[in-house]
Amino acid sequence: MIELDQRLISQLTSIADVMLPETPQMPSVSGTGSFEASLLKVLDSRPDLAKGLKTAIDLLPKETFQLSDLDALLTKDPEAYTALTTIVAASYYQVKEVKVRIGYPGQVPKTYDPYAYVEWVQEGLLDPVVERGQIWKDPREEIK
Amino acid sequence: MAREENIDVLIIGAGASGGVAARHLAEKGFSVVCLEQGEWPDRNDFRGAEDDWELAIRKDWALSPNIRNLDSDYPVNAEKSDIDPLMFNAVGGSMVIYAGTWPRMLPSDFRVKSLDGVAEDWPIDYFELAPYYDQIDLEIGVSGLAGDPAYPAHPDYPLPPLPLGKAGRKVAQAHNDLGWHWWPEPNAILSAPYDGRNPCVQRGVCTSGCGEGAKASTDLTHWPKAIGAGAKLITSARVRKITVNDQGLATGAIWVDPEGREFHQSAKVVILAANAIGTARLLLLSNNSMFPNGLANSSGLVGKRLMMHPFAVVTGWFDESLEGWQGQFGASITSYQFYETNPQHDFVRGAKWALSPVGGPLNHVLPMRAGTEVWGEQHHELMNRTFGKGATWAIFGEDLPEESNYIELDESLSDSSGIPSPKVHYKISQNSKRLMGFQVERAEESLRAAGASDVTTANLLRYSGWHLMGTAKMGDDPAKSVVNRFQRSHDVENLYIVDGSVFVTSSGVNPTATITALALRTADNIVKSRSLQAVPS
Repeated sequence: MIELDQRLISQLTSIADVMLPETPQMPSVSGTGSFEASLLKVLDSRPDLAKGLKTAIDLLPKETFQLSDLDALLTKDPEAYTALTTIVAASYYQVKEVKVRIGYPGQVPKTYDPYAYVEWVQEGLLDPVVERGQIWKDPREEIK
Repeated sequence: MAREENIDVLIIGAGASGGVAARHLAEKGFSVVCLEQGEWPDRNDFRGAEDDWELAIRKDWALSPNIRNLDSDYPVNAEKSDIDPLMFNAVGGSMVIYAGTWPRMLPSDFRVKSLDGVAEDWPIDYFELAPYYDQIDLEIGVSGLAGDPAYPAHPDYPLPPLPLGKAGRKVAQAHNDLGWHWWPEPNAILSAPYDGRNPCVQRGVCTSGCGEGAKASTDLTHWPKAIGAGAKLITSARVRKITVNDQGLATGAIWVDPEGREFHQSAKVVILAANAIGTARLLLLSNNSMFPNGLANSSGLVGKRLMMHPFAVVTGWFDESLEGWQGQFGASITSYQFYETNPQHDFVRGAKWALSPVGGPLNHVLPMRAGTEVWGEQHHELMNRTFGKGATWAIFGEDLPEESNYIELDESLSDSSGIPSPKVHYKISQNSKRLMGFQVERAEESLRAAGASDVTTANLLRYSGWHLMGTAKMGDDPAKSVVNRFQRSHDVENLYIVDGSVFVTSSGVNPTATITALALRTADNIVKSRSLQAVPS
């Protein structure tokens, strides 16, 4: 587990709230109520990003952060920028409420009838393709 | 150095071609040993069913060995390359992380010199390879629909096609309206139970490992049968040199284990199956006084003519949910409308299109394939406009061979065993740039005709070198090729190459069906000609 003290988490949340603010449809990062728990899960999955995240927080202004500061960070330290944006986005979209709001159940299994294709074949979906006939070049015919 | 028993066939690499060769040779009574630098994949490690899937594909399950940086990987110096090579080192090889689309090459692909005046013709043709395609389709368990007018007739696939999905149906109808070709994509992904394996459940995570085992890879389809027939597979075994005797015949290979201990495996025949970068690397590493420029390299072509397929993704964004994170990946439908050379174009050859899902939330908001990065309120607007509403044409263009695209041994970079890494020199050609520019424009047209309100494009992507081909060319003339039409080295009579290295030209299709069909054909020929095979005394 990566150690992030409350000061860093608080600073990150402030930055993330500007990156992903509240709108009528979506909560802000802090508005999800479970960003910190999600953040720790993300860092557990990707401990390699922790160093870059700390660098990003160190480099960005704390009280006056605005989106244009991200451009400067990208120029100055692309690795820190990637760590910050990946962690903020991943932490946000792993929150259950956020997934529900965007209609994302996760990469879940889905059942289907493997023989359902018979229906669209019988409906004639492929007929125009078949009716236009062969489109492959036969080198035995073309090379004389 | 420990020496082990002399066996009939040593195979280096347990991926697509190595698995096929091992199974068929072992089943015909050959004693077979395979050395594989990776491990058996453990499906419990796959992340596709977990919340952190999209994080994992950016690190531990990345397609590039340079990003994964596992001990089983070897780093590839790609600083001089426009495309980063992608691969996976494990039993099953890069099939563990490939998409699973399973097209054959077309008849014209074998005759580009005669038809279009470029590159060279293959010494074999489609029709000679067709019976092996038919056989390998059965062994792999391909889901698809016969009758595609883009191909010569062939037997039906063993399984019905995977679902078209909402996006596939929409784009198929658009192609009917445009008068353009489309067809259900053949996939090496099971649509129904087959050969003791489970069917696809449409998670859409194929390129980071199929937890269900529905996507074919030889750790599932061939190695259990090969081992059942007596083949021995040694994992975590990294080969550093092929050994030869005074007669210029291969005698086996020196390999090292993770602790650095060295072993020699003797064999009567050596088969290289380590992909077009790994195989060329090993041939260059195996130079000696008899073969000063690398083993089997009297032509000077080992490592040269590397082809990797220029790649683009064109994503249409629709106004309704298509559940665009779901479905085989893999592809639902394919199009060969712009595959063959058209004299009216300012390029030769063409490209194959495959319609794929778009992925989860991170793939929409972070740059990878389809993502557009934007923050603030616009971020939510972007997600509302795009998430679940996309469909992507993935486009591979034919990559013509050039000797200026090559690999060599790196002077300073090495793997965890201290063996020199490959260094890749590769530039995307002007023909490829014109070809892909045209294809991207047509793909945009396709998606807009299907109703997309917006289309985004990423052309000539850097992390797209899935298809490694051409570094040990097949041919009849020993001065202009490395192996003969049965993939036997012209220089070393008991050395075979069965991976994509032998491709004369790249075609514009995913190569694994062809690699495995060729490996099956070569194994068949080794069996048939065993009494004539030169072996070390």
